[in-house]
Formats: sequence, structure tokens, C-alpha cells
Amino acid sequence: MLVVERDPHVRELELFFLNEAGYSVDFAEDGEAALKLAHERKPAIVITEIMVPKLDGLALCRKIKADPVLGDTVVLVFSILAAHGRARDAGADAFLMKPLAERRLVDTVRELLARRAAIQPRSQPGQAQ
Amino acid sequence: MIAQFQHATDHPAETSDFLRISTGNPQADAILCGGFPVNSVNIVMGQPGTGKTIFAEQLLFHNANTDRPLLYLTTLSEPMSKVVSYAQRLGFFNVEQIGTRVLYDDLGADLSAHGPSALVPRVLDAIKRLSPSIIIIDSFKAVHDLAGSTTEMRRIVSELGGVLSAYDVTAFLLGEYTQENIESYPEFAVADSIVQLERNALGARDERYLRVLKLRGSAYREGQHAFRITDTGLQIFPRLVTPNFANYTPTLERTSMGIEGLDTIIGGGVWRGSTTLLVGSTGSGKSTMGLQFALEAVNRGEPALFVNFQENPAQVERMVRSLGTDPQVAARTGFHHLYTSPVELQIDSVIVDIFNFIETAGVRRVVIDAVGDLMTAASDAQRLHDFLYSLVQHFVVRNVTTVLNLESATGLVGGREQEQRWSYMSDNVLVLVRGEDDPAERTLRVIKTRNSAHDPAAHRVEIRGDGVHIL
Repeated sequence: MLVVERDPHVRELELFFLNEAGYSVDFAEDGEAALKLAHERKPAIVITEIMVPKLDGLALCRKIKADPVLGDTVVLVFSILAAHGRARDAGADAFLMKPLAERRLVDTVRELLARRAAIQPRSQPGQAQ
Repeated sequence: MIAQFQHATDHPAETSDFLRISTGNPQADAILCGGFPVNSVNIVMGQPGTGKTIFAEQLLFHNANTDRPLLYLTTLSEPMSKVVSYAQRLGFFNVEQIGTRVLYDDLGADLSAHGPSALVPRVLDAIKRLSPSIIIIDSFKAVHDLAGSTTEMRRIVSELGGVLSAYDVTAFLLGEYTQENIESYPEFAVADSIVQLERNALGARDERYLRVLKLRGSAYREGQHAFRITDTGLQIFPRLVTPNFANYTPTLERTSMGIEGLDTIIGGGVWRGSTTLLVGSTGSGKSTMGLQFALEAVNRGEPALFVNFQENPAQVERMVRSLGTDPQVAARTGFHHLYTSPVELQIDSVIVDIFNFIETAGVRRVVIDAVGDLMTAASDAQRLHDFLYSLVQHFVVRNVTTVLNLESATGLVGGREQEQRWSYMSDNVLVLVRGEDDPAERTLRVIKTRNSAHDPAAHRVEIRGDGVHIL
């Protein structure tokens, strides 16, 4: 999975809890770097804050969903902003509000990936994204 | 807050409203308009012995009902063993929650060995290992004092603030801070709320106050709120504020004072919900008139409350009996007596007790005998005045008819300023005066009756076996 986050404290906790849950994580600190990395690594899920530099999380989400290669990628908007509606309008699969609560985050990721696997049984993402 | 977008309409309303954490104390929650915001960083400040640790522990044990533990970290102020040892004596302490839901840990050794920079890694480690929903650091001021420079402390506070705001946790930093520290210490800049506990010596006893200095993104009840430390935690008496008159409908009903001859000279009784100030010297008959006023309501089936600070309950029983009423029968039929020794008198607690009576017993009449005792007990005359004014307004909103007795040797209410204060607070002002030549000769004069005609002449007063009579 790819996490787009510039706050070092959030990054450290996301890395710890997602690793604990069995996921491997790549990080990007801005939207442009995230898009580039997404093309390289083709993650099953992108978790993005809205407030990231260069390309904000919602614009990143729109680009991923419109991309012919990345369009199937699950996008979870995980933000300090209360922006469920804007996340939905940008095509996100789910919205989660900060601060980080590991159970909520991990459960949401699991559910989104399970839903994706059910739709695309041949591209089962498994536990090591 | 989770939203998974399976359907176009499947998302919660967009809002950034926050949840609250109860303090475990209903009065403190009311002052904070519901409690502390979840995921906030809060400072509880006050000099040693003001009740910070008890306040924090009461909050901790009250919230120890989730599947995530709550963490109490001691630093270099008091050793953990002492904190736990004293906590066990308090009513809210539950030993079965220790080690499972409530976790104590001592950072003192780490901080001593490695300095204040050891704090943030320990907090981060605790978050990763334990997933606490509340963290209390006691004392954070001790961590501050350990820092070699303001720059170092700013860096630590910034790191800690970053960690605490990244994670789903509510933090409380306790400390022996002074008012001056607020402007210069960096921890106050990251605090979402600041609660101050104060203790002031007043004669042989202490007065304690809780004050909210800051509560980011929320309303709160301003000002000093008195409290006591009890073995069940803090007992807080929220400051009385003027009530909301939006739904108030005044009644146009007169009610008898229950004192023969008085109703006719004040226009046919007092308005229900009005306040009458009865001024007079010692022995002029104020207490008797107050009792007659209360018992008149009880005889008509309306509960009444007699609040006094001088005569003890046995003496008041004798007074009631001398007015021809069996005290036991009076008590059963709605006569309530609230006695507080003037030595132990704390005005805030009396006000709360009066309100409890009004709410629970449906009291329709109140006598306060005498407000001078409240003035003596109050450390701040302006505060007392504000209190009484608000109290009277609450009586008005509830249509509770009130008599305030005020002792005055001269028959005057005090200086001009005092006189004006009392006058605008009261609908009616009656003054009892004893004769200069013959103290047994008493007269009553009606100084003011709001929205009523009255007889301004001096009327002779007789105190007979069955009470006061106005001639």
C-alpha cells in the first residue's frame, strides 16, 4: 500500500500499526511523488491526507481514479479535514477522519481490500501490499 | 469518523463537531459544557494541594469503561507509589481496574537519567504498546523544570504535541503552574484547554475555586466555581449566572405574606415570584416574620424553605411551635429547614443546596435569614452581590416568592451604594425600626413596593404569642 502523508508523527504511527497488521507500506510526502510511486509500485490501496503539497489528496484521488492503469486502485482519504462529501465527490472509496485510531484504520483497510478482492478475485491483494 | 461510499447518499453529515470526555463530575462537565473535547491536550494547573491529582484520577476512573486502557504517568514531582497510595482512599478508586484498564507508570528514573528528552519516546512507546485513550502526565511542570533552556522545552513540547495530536488520545498535563507561566511556557500554546484550581486562605478555613481559562472551540462557564475536596472526589458548586428569561411568563397573582396587617399596606399582598427585603435590627421580629411567611405557604399546601445561619434546628423548631404549628406536622406538609453554621458557611454550597430543594421539593417560597451572614462569609462583596442577584433572578423565573432578611441596627440598608444595590435587587423593601426611647416599641415602614401602591406611613408592630402583627 501507498501512504501519502507529510506529518512525521502520523507517518511513524501509520507505519507501526499497518506493519503490525501485516501490511508493507510505501510512503510519499506529496501528491506528485505519490502519483509517480503509484505508477511504479501499483499498490492495491492508496491512503492519502488531503492536505499534502504539490498535488492535494483529493486531486490525487481524481487522477488515480481517471488513470487507465491505476483506476482500480482503492483510495482511502484519511484527513484532519471533515471532508467526507468532497472525498466521495473525488471518487474515493472511503473517508476516515484523523486522528489515527489503529483499529478503525486497519479495519477500514481490511474491509476495502476485501471488497476489492471480491470484485476482482484474480487480483487478490493478500496481506503484503 | 468513517464513511465508506457504497452508495451516493451513504455518507454522514459533514461536520467537525467533537465528542467529549466526561470528568466524572457532573458539575465540572456542566462548567465545561459537556466535558473535555476528545483528542485534546489539556492543562490542569494549580499550586500543590489544590486537588489536581484527585481531579485527574476522578476523570480517569470514570472513563475506565472502554476496551482501551488509560495511562497515568508520574514524573519527578510525586513518586508513583505515593500517588497510588493516596488514590486508594478515594471513593472512585477501583483496585480491580488497576493493571488492566487503568495503568500507572513512573517516568522519574528515565527523566532523571536522560533528561526531559526521554519523555516523548516513552509516550510514543506507550501509544504503540498500549493504545491508551487517555494519558495523564503528572507533573508536566516537573518536566519543564528539568529542561536546560526554553529552546529545549519548546522542542519537547512541539514533539509531544505532534505525537498527541497524531493519535486518538486525550492528554492531560498537570502542573504546579502560576498565572505568570501561562504567557511564557510553551506547553500553554499547545493546550486546547486550561483548567486552574486555586486555594485561598479565608480565616481558619480555605476556599477553593475551579476556573476554566481556555477551552478551544467550545463555550464554557466563566468565572470562579467553588469546590471542596471530599473522599469521593471534588464537589464543585458552579457559579450562579443570571437565568435565561426567554421562556419566562410573569404571573399576575398576589399572595399573602401571612402576617396580619401587612398585606393591606403593601397593596394586597406581594406578587408571586417577587423578592422582599426585610431590614431590621436584632430582635425586631425579622426571623419570626420570615417563619410566618414560610408557614403561611405550607398551610396552603405549598412547600417552603427556611434558610438560616444563626438559630440551630432545635431553636427553629421552638419558634415554629410558638407560632402555633407542630414542627413535625410542618415538616411532613412541606416546611423545609436548611441550617448551616456560620462558621462553616460557604455561600456557593448554600446556593446549590437551595437549588436542590427548589428542584426536588417543589419549593414555592424561600426565606433567607439572614443575607448579612452570607456577606460575612463571602471573601468578595462584589461576588456575593452578583450571586444574590442571580439567585433572585432564578427565583423570579421559577415564580418562587422570597423574603431576604437583612440585619441593620439603624434600620438603613447600609451606605448609599449598598442601599441602591439591595433596592434594585428587591421588589419590596420593608424596614423594621425599634424605638429610640423605648426599644420594645417597634414600627414597620414600607420603603418600596415595585408595581404596587403602598402605605408609606410608619405602622406599629406587635410581637404576640402567635407572631408579628402590623397595626
